[in-house]
Amino acid sequence: MVSRFDQQKTKHQLFHVSISLATILICMTYMQYRRNWAHLGSFWDSLIVPIVFIGELLKVILARFFGRIEDGVLTAKQRQKKAAYFTPRELLGGLTLQFLCTLLYAFICIILGAPVLANYEQTFVLSLLMTLLTVSPTVFLLGGGGALQVCFCEKPDFITKCEDTALHLFKYNALGGILGAWAGSVVAPLDWGRDWQAYPIPNVIGALLGSALGNIYACTHVLYTCGRVYMSKKRA
Amino acid sequence: MNYTYLFVLIWLAYLICSGVLLFSRGFLLARVSKTETSTCRRLSTNPDDEYYLTPEVVQEIFKDVNASTSSNLCLPQKSKVIILVVDALKYEFGVYNENATEPPLPYENKLDVLHRLLQQSPEHARLMRFRADPPTTTLQRLKGLTTGSLPTFIDIGSNFASPEINEDNIIDQMVKSHLPLVFLGDSTWTDLYPRRFKRAYSYPSFDIFDLDSVDNQIMQHLPKELASNDWQVLIAHFLGVDHCGHKHGPIHDEMARKLTEMNDIISSVVAGMDNETTLLIMGDHGMTASGDHGGDTDDETNALLFAYTKQHKFYTSNDSGSDSEILQQIDLVPTLSTILGVPIPYSNLGLINFNIVPAIAVPHLSKFQTLLLHAWQNAHQIYRYFFKYAMENKRTFNVEEMDKLETEFILLTHRVQTIYNEAAFKSFVRDLNINLRDILNVCREIWVKFEPTQMSQGLLFSFLPIFFAFLLVNNSNAGDYAQIFKPKEVFYTFLINIAAGVFGYRYYKNFSFKTEEHGVIFFTSLLSAVLLAFYTIRHWKNIANNWANVKRFGHMPTRLLLFASVAVFFSNSFVIQEAKILSYLLVAIILLLIYELLQLSARLDFKNKFKWSQLLRSTALRLVLASLLAICCIRFAYTLFRCREEQGNCADFASASTAGFSVKKPAMGKTYILAVVIIVLYTTLTRLYLRSCGNLTGNSPNVLLARYGPTVASICAGGHILLANSTVKNIQRTHIDTMALVIYGLLLLQILVVSWSPLMVFVLPPKNPNTITVNGQDSIVPEIFRKMKRMYEGDDAERRYEIPVVYGLATVYSSIIISFGVFLAMLMIVLLEPRASIGLIVCIVVGAILLSLHGILRYRTANSFESCVQPTFSAVVGWFLLAHFCFFATSHQTTLSQIDWRAAFVGRSSALGQSHLISGTLVILNTFCGPIFFYCMYSLLSTETFSLFALFPNLIKSCSSSSRNSSTNNGNNRNNGKASTAAIALSDLANDAVGFDMTRGELALYEYEDVFLGAAFKLATQFFMLQGLKIFCAMLACTIHCRHLMVWKIFAPRFIYEALATFVGLPALIVGYLFLLRINRAVDGLIKCINKDK
Repeated sequence: MVSRFDQQKTKHQLFHVSISLATILICMTYMQYRRNWAHLGSFWDSLIVPIVFIGELLKVILARFFGRIEDGVLTAKQRQKKAAYFTPRELLGGLTLQFLCTLLYAFICIILGAPVLANYEQTFVLSLLMTLLTVSPTVFLLGGGGALQVCFCEKPDFITKCEDTALHLFKYNALGGILGAWAGSVVAPLDWGRDWQAYPIPNVIGALLGSALGNIYACTHVLYTCGRVYMSKKRA
Repeated sequence: MNYTYLFVLIWLAYLICSGVLLFSRGFLLARVSKTETSTCRRLSTNPDDEYYLTPEVVQEIFKDVNASTSSNLCLPQKSKVIILVVDALKYEFGVYNENATEPPLPYENKLDVLHRLLQQSPEHARLMRFRADPPTTTLQRLKGLTTGSLPTFIDIGSNFASPEINEDNIIDQMVKSHLPLVFLGDSTWTDLYPRRFKRAYSYPSFDIFDLDSVDNQIMQHLPKELASNDWQVLIAHFLGVDHCGHKHGPIHDEMARKLTEMNDIISSVVAGMDNETTLLIMGDHGMTASGDHGGDTDDETNALLFAYTKQHKFYTSNDSGSDSEILQQIDLVPTLSTILGVPIPYSNLGLINFNIVPAIAVPHLSKFQTLLLHAWQNAHQIYRYFFKYAMENKRTFNVEEMDKLETEFILLTHRVQTIYNEAAFKSFVRDLNINLRDILNVCREIWVKFEPTQMSQGLLFSFLPIFFAFLLVNNSNAGDYAQIFKPKEVFYTFLINIAAGVFGYRYYKNFSFKTEEHGVIFFTSLLSAVLLAFYTIRHWKNIANNWANVKRFGHMPTRLLLFASVAVFFSNSFVIQEAKILSYLLVAIILLLIYELLQLSARLDFKNKFKWSQLLRSTALRLVLASLLAICCIRFAYTLFRCREEQGNCADFASASTAGFSVKKPAMGKTYILAVVIIVLYTTLTRLYLRSCGNLTGNSPNVLLARYGPTVASICAGGHILLANSTVKNIQRTHIDTMALVIYGLLLLQILVVSWSPLMVFVLPPKNPNTITVNGQDSIVPEIFRKMKRMYEGDDAERRYEIPVVYGLATVYSSIIISFGVFLAMLMIVLLEPRASIGLIVCIVVGAILLSLHGILRYRTANSFESCVQPTFSAVVGWFLLAHFCFFATSHQTTLSQIDWRAAFVGRSSALGQSHLISGTLVILNTFCGPIFFYCMYSLLSTETFSLFALFPNLIKSCSSSSRNSSTNNGNNRNNGKASTAAIALSDLANDAVGFDMTRGELALYEYEDVFLGAAFKLATQFFMLQGLKIFCAMLACTIHCRHLMVWKIFAPRFIYEALATFVGLPALIVGYLFLLRINRAVDGLIKCINKDK
């Protein structure tokens, strides 16, 4: 067990999680600073989507940074994949995939009870945020085709170790985000008459908090393994 | 056959239902409202009238005060009355506080006109506490203030459809005595008393945040009305103070403004009233420190009453012995009757308070005689009502207490004859008042107080069977029930229960229960709980073993969804929005199912490389599309929901009272057409399905019925929808009704046929001994007996030519349930409105998709017959939610005013009698069509897996190849190729996967008969538990919120609906199980018969 402890991986995980948490913290601070909840639903007025976008991008860059160390041990397939990352085909594929995903999320929002067309801007913002929290990081990391394969097939063999670490953490982020957004609706029917009960504010905040919880869960996992390794080392 | 399980189900259902019943007896305070009215002999001061007051008349009256001629008298009217009701006028608002803090609180000392009048003329003004009975909501208070009785939640006999009061009341008495009334203000009055007022200026009270508009309107009209002389009673109801309390609370500047405004109004009314008028200013209830009301705290029940006359003095408490500090609100009615000289309403329980009656002398009567006559009239009226009520509703009251009260009354009737001076009168009135207050307290105990013992026992007795059923049934294997419930033991259980019931019936008094019912339920439930505990302990070893195998935190998402669906009961906002919440949860269940399916299959369908073409061909995509269709259906059902009053801008609620045949909107035409089209589509699709299963072959009566019945039924249903709602005038009602009658008849016929010969199979006689070709050109999947025979006899090549072909054996169980479902659905469609019938069919579509999704999921996760026949927990919860969602999708709401009474008259205008039983059944069928339909069909959850794989054998291949993939990751393509289309290979594959031959379809169920029936029993018990959990949570919520502001408006109706759903849902489940037993017996007969033939 002790020998398997991977310092690089743990470092990567911890950095990754702290970036996620920092992003959400910044979002919360921003909301606190604006004080007005209504802007959360508008596309141009709110900075939540850009902040989350930058956060996800940072995570991908982090994965790339840690990935550099492994450059030497890549297989041919992995190399090939890496070379194809910036080709127009991949870029276009990735964009299309994200766009389709946004549409899918918008559709899900509507079938779950959002007004069909009346609040299209709010629905768009929410689905964009959901895409950013769930699909986008994977697409940024692997490109469109790669993301599809990861989603639907068994683990493809072109994935490097470090990418695998990141994907694992993305999963927590995405799951927390989806569940949080779903559970956020719980306050919608209450008759408190608060302005933050308007669609999509509870869902946006729920998604952010949910992904924060997911990350905290992941973080405790990492720290727990760390702590165990540390204890056994000390004992030895 | 094995009917033991059926009896166990009946037993469990009885236990749960009796617990719910017991709870409802304690919780739903019911009072039977009487429609009798009081009349009186009107003594008059006008010489032309019949009963002109002369000394002789007076003498005659006092000769025998108890005689029938003198026991219902009305003395002449004393004055005109102005009633100013200021909603939520708390007692403290009107009391002048001399040493108030500087500056005074916003509500203090604002009504200084009252103080001034009291100081100026203490004999002409009265300020009293006006004590309300809970619930302190405006509607209930107005009922109390006008009928003089204690309003309870259900005043049985009053009509639900409109809030109009049909009990005798002061307003009706005034109208009968030809006293013109004028009303201004809150429209609640005109809802309660439509068409009673000479002039009414009523304004809706809905917008709680609007402080001024109603009051401003009143102020605009009030001076004009005060000036005119054509009224005897003027009522004005101001809402501003109440709304201000709700919005800002009592300690706010707005409150000061509103109270000052009220002060101005009162001053102007005082200035404007003439000498012959009594002014009454009252609050209907108080408010708490936060400005709300509804409960029973002192803050809420203490309202203010202020009375003032310009010329006449009031009687003093010295004269009459009435309480000068506190006036009970129900005392207002007899007091008003006294002032106005009208009969006291029949069901009044209050006493006249003479402190606010102007002391106007009646000719030829001394003061104490006047008072005595008034008080004695009042006493007579109360006794008449109380004993009549007690006679007609036996056992409402305690017998000993009744006896005591009656003796006292008889003593008083003797004593009243001998009163000749004021001192005697005073002591008499004191005793009389004590006696009458006793009666009031007895009534209050019964009508206003919840009964905590019955409520808590109801909660306990519905919880225990659910709990033990969970331990015992949910944690045992389907095959073990035969050991757990032995026929003999179940028989003894029933015997013991009956004995306990008889014991409870006989000796309920010894245990101080109020009714026999309570005694019976108490003892049977207690004993049954002990028996269930005994069963559990005896099989504890097995239970513990099985429990240990259950995965911890398994089904967590489903459990959360279930938890969310029952948590709805605990918040009024959730109850209001329940339709949307249920659909949200139902969509989540479907998404969860599809996620589980994709997890199992998609990753395996494309091995290493993702290809779009492969995606398009895969089963997974088709399933995803199907579930999306289901979700879209659920979303579409949003448009069918009926809204409720609390949701705001609700048009349905307003039109609900006039709904039915009269509403004609141009947009409705499309709805009718859509409904008809959907009905036709539905029948066609089910017919196609049954035909492709081979169940519509042959000429036996049940097959004929299944073949042509739905067509006829759908034509009738469509015709009924179109004709009953059409604008064409000259259609005879009988013609429309015939269509409904045809559908009723078809359903009855179907029930008869099912009980006589249920099976929809066709045994092809072996005409040509050499060939047994099953026609390939038909898409029919006839089940070849060969397989069956191989199972029983072993493959016997020589006899092959004798093998009969049986059509429809693969779906032998489900086909009958489905065809019964078609008829049931048709019946419900004809009862429902067109819009709602679309909702029903939408739900059926969702159900069908849920079934097929679950069928495939079940097969992929199963590893034995038992697990295959036992549906997953998610699917059970999904089906359960769907049943309740259907309630809302068929345009129902959980408010008492929105029951669709129209259903009671479908097909009944001419024939079929006026029986209330039939009407009730039809309305119940309409209202609870969702639970009834889906609970009757519940066994499809376990059979549909089998028929699905018999119909599409290719599914087995895809499943098993994928499962093979997962286990061994090498060279399975070869294997796939080998297992091509040969049926034998398929059955082998199935054998590998789940341990039995899946291609035989539902015949496999018969082979493992014991396990199958056990599993169906287990499934029914699981539904029992879910329904029981739901009703238990509803009861718990009612207990917790029993003094909540919204308890009578939201929580109690929700509980009533859930209780009724339980009462009809559990029997529906039992009927579903009975079906299964009947079919199983018939299958048994068929197989034996075929075997014998050979």
